[in-house]
Amino acid sequence: MSEVVLLQLIGLGVIGVGVLILLFIQSRFPRVIGFVMIVLGTFSLVALSVPQMASLPPAEEKFDVASIKTANDMAMIGQKIFFSKGQCALCHSIGPSESARCPDLKGIGAKLSREFIYESLTQPQAYIYLDYRHEGPPKDYPARMPHINKNPIGLSNNEILSVIAFLQQMSGEPITVSPSEIAMPGQPVPVSATIPARAPAPPSPAKSKAKGKTKKADAGEAGLVAMVVHGR
Amino acid sequence: MRNHEASRGRVRGWLDAWGLSVVGLALLAGLLGFPVSGWAEDAASASAAVSYRDIPQLGGSRNIIWVIAQLHLLLAGFVLGVPIFAWLCEIVGWKTGEKRYDKLAKEFTKLLTSSYATTALFGGILLFMLIGFYPKLMTYLTDVFFPSFLVYCALFLLETVTLYLYWYGWDVMLEGRAKVFHLFLGFLLNVFAFFIMIIPNSWATFQASPVVIAEGSSLARAWAATWNPTWWPVNVHRLIANVVLGGFICGAYAGVRYLSAKSAEEREHYDWMGYVGNFIGVFGMLPLPFAGYWLMREVYQYNQQMGITLMGGFLSWLFILQAMLIGVLFLGANYYFWLGITYRIPGAEMKYRRPIMAMLVILLLCLGVWMTPHSLVASLEEARKLGGTHHPLLGVFGVMSAKMTVANLMILVTFMSFIMYWRAGKEETATWAKVAKALVGGLFGVAAIVIIVLGVWGYFVPAIVRINYFSVAQVLIVLFVLLTVTPLTALLMKTARTTTEMVWGRMPPRAGYALVLNAVMVILLMTLMGYARSSSRVHWHIYGVMRDSSPYAYSPALGYAAAFMSLNTFIFCMLVAFIFWVATMGDKAKAGHGATPAMAGGSQELDTHK
Repeated sequence: MSEVVLLQLIGLGVIGVGVLILLFIQSRFPRVIGFVMIVLGTFSLVALSVPQMASLPPAEEKFDVASIKTANDMAMIGQKIFFSKGQCALCHSIGPSESARCPDLKGIGAKLSREFIYESLTQPQAYIYLDYRHEGPPKDYPARMPHINKNPIGLSNNEILSVIAFLQQMSGEPITVSPSEIAMPGQPVPVSATIPARAPAPPSPAKSKAKGKTKKADAGEAGLVAMVVHGR
Repeated sequence: MRNHEASRGRVRGWLDAWGLSVVGLALLAGLLGFPVSGWAEDAASASAAVSYRDIPQLGGSRNIIWVIAQLHLLLAGFVLGVPIFAWLCEIVGWKTGEKRYDKLAKEFTKLLTSSYATTALFGGILLFMLIGFYPKLMTYLTDVFFPSFLVYCALFLLETVTLYLYWYGWDVMLEGRAKVFHLFLGFLLNVFAFFIMIIPNSWATFQASPVVIAEGSSLARAWAATWNPTWWPVNVHRLIANVVLGGFICGAYAGVRYLSAKSAEEREHYDWMGYVGNFIGVFGMLPLPFAGYWLMREVYQYNQQMGITLMGGFLSWLFILQAMLIGVLFLGANYYFWLGITYRIPGAEMKYRRPIMAMLVILLLCLGVWMTPHSLVASLEEARKLGGTHHPLLGVFGVMSAKMTVANLMILVTFMSFIMYWRAGKEETATWAKVAKALVGGLFGVAAIVIIVLGVWGYFVPAIVRINYFSVAQVLIVLFVLLTVTPLTALLMKTARTTTEMVWGRMPPRAGYALVLNAVMVILLMTLMGYARSSSRVHWHIYGVMRDSSPYAYSPALGYAAAFMSLNTFIFCMLVAFIFWVATMGDKAKAGHGATPAMAGGSQELDTHK
């Protein structure tokens, strides 16, 4: 007997008991209970008559270092991390979005060097992007960028490099991260995977402002109009 | 021998007095003991942090949490809705001088003492279960929200103190400034209750629409997580829904008591109480769809995929069930109004027969459109004959533009019923009455036409235009009608002459069943939408942040879920019946000795009692 048939029988049984109560019991409160049983049983039967679709979870993605052979493999894993463990898509959009609470990342891999992206992920307060998508003075974005390599997100170095590979690939740029930079379990992080303490400012035309600390980043084709404030 | 009998009597007396408590405690210990035994099993093998624990023998951790959480939420809705209901009644009694409202408010406040305890009991069980079954998730949530846990505890203390003062101070703060202070206490009670509601809302909405938590102080992190995109839409939606629940449960209680009333006086009283409950329920129900619309809009804004899962994915059929329940609720509420016009106002039956029939037809047509599915359940052969899964004629009603239109029309019709009932048996005496009545009629007519035009136009514009402008305009038009016609009618009625006195206690028994039906529909709707909210997260505990990797990560199909919804609704109804029974038990005993009856009420005689 299938689950649906079993539940239908239970629903019919509940309605039957309700009908029997209404037919044979005169006391008011039990009659109200009988009435409620008929209503609930009918509701269950109606719910069983519509298409029965369950939502099954997809297979869990694992970061398998051994499976990475090419830079494209890294980008593919980076894409999955971007939309899952990395939680990047909670705030960032890829393309203009009214609801995005942080800068649009479309074409970001073409605008910023890998060192700068790495620094943005691991030292997000080094340069602050401000929102220029409105009239008047720039504002902070509603959400504050977390340190992506620390809790609660806590991406590993391998995972961060994969995300950078994805951002570069998504922007149509050659991927500058190499699979050789991936640290195998139990091995130290390759020297090339480490990033200088202070990454160069965005490679876009930057205009110096007050006391040389405020720089305006490239407005960019994707509408990333932002202000970066060094060392704020 | 005598000693032996005396001792047996004492034991029997002790059992009578404490038996229920002992059984309750044993059950509680048993319930709490099950997860404890589960922990014991795990403890031996657990070397690392445990993510999940389970008791498959009891139906699995997910189902246990489902029942307990749903009951806790329904009880919480009840204990937050009742103070709003009671406070509104107290204000009406204070402003109009009608003591029956004050007594009604007092009697419902009395329910709070026992219902608070039951709600807290289920809250405690839920907390233990969550810590036991989902330790990893609870650790994460505690890490994020710990400061708000402390605020929550503090609010409970404040709420309890205020409730004690409000309840025990009722009879000593009856007049003058003391009464004003008492009303202020009622206001405070509701303010604290509101915050008690919105804090757990932040935990639940964070699970559905999390924001990234940056580093910072615990307070800053909790604050950032609290202000997630769906927090306020859910707060507003639940606040209104609690008023609706409180009103319709009062109505259902009155309905049951009306059915079993033995004297004309009792019938009058519970008929009046049913009217008040239904009135407040409908009053809250009218703006509720707007709050729901705002919530769905925010869900789409936050994550389009989540919105699609709800409205167009595996949960899409849920909204057909929702349409059915809301439709029955609208019909039930209107039916009760119509019965009131027919039976309580002598001579009104013939006068209102035609408009009632017209409104019934409109409501049924609207319900038919609302329940039209987007795609039909059809076999391959049938679909081939139809030329797709859309019905060639009715398929046009399966889209949101049609559903938004009929939902707004149903609200308008219900509001019209309410206005009709309000004006029945009265004759306006104001000099400007004709102009006002023409204006009211014109407003209803123009509003209905504009809503339909916007609905049809909605088919020919991009979805974003329809969602952002047309649907919002439809909602604003209905709100405008509600907000202009209500005060206008109130002004008209202020100077109106009563031509036919309303006669209480003459409603047929089916009116009592209609009130019970309305309450069951509201409870079922709450359980249905709770399932929708939870299932929209699909296989995530916290959407996009913490994946559910337990064996229960799937969302069950509607039929299975509906069985749990029905079970939860039934248990909740029985719990509320028990609470009402316990709360009025002492009054019945007193009434037997010539004191005030259980519930204060509608007759003049009862009004003279203190």
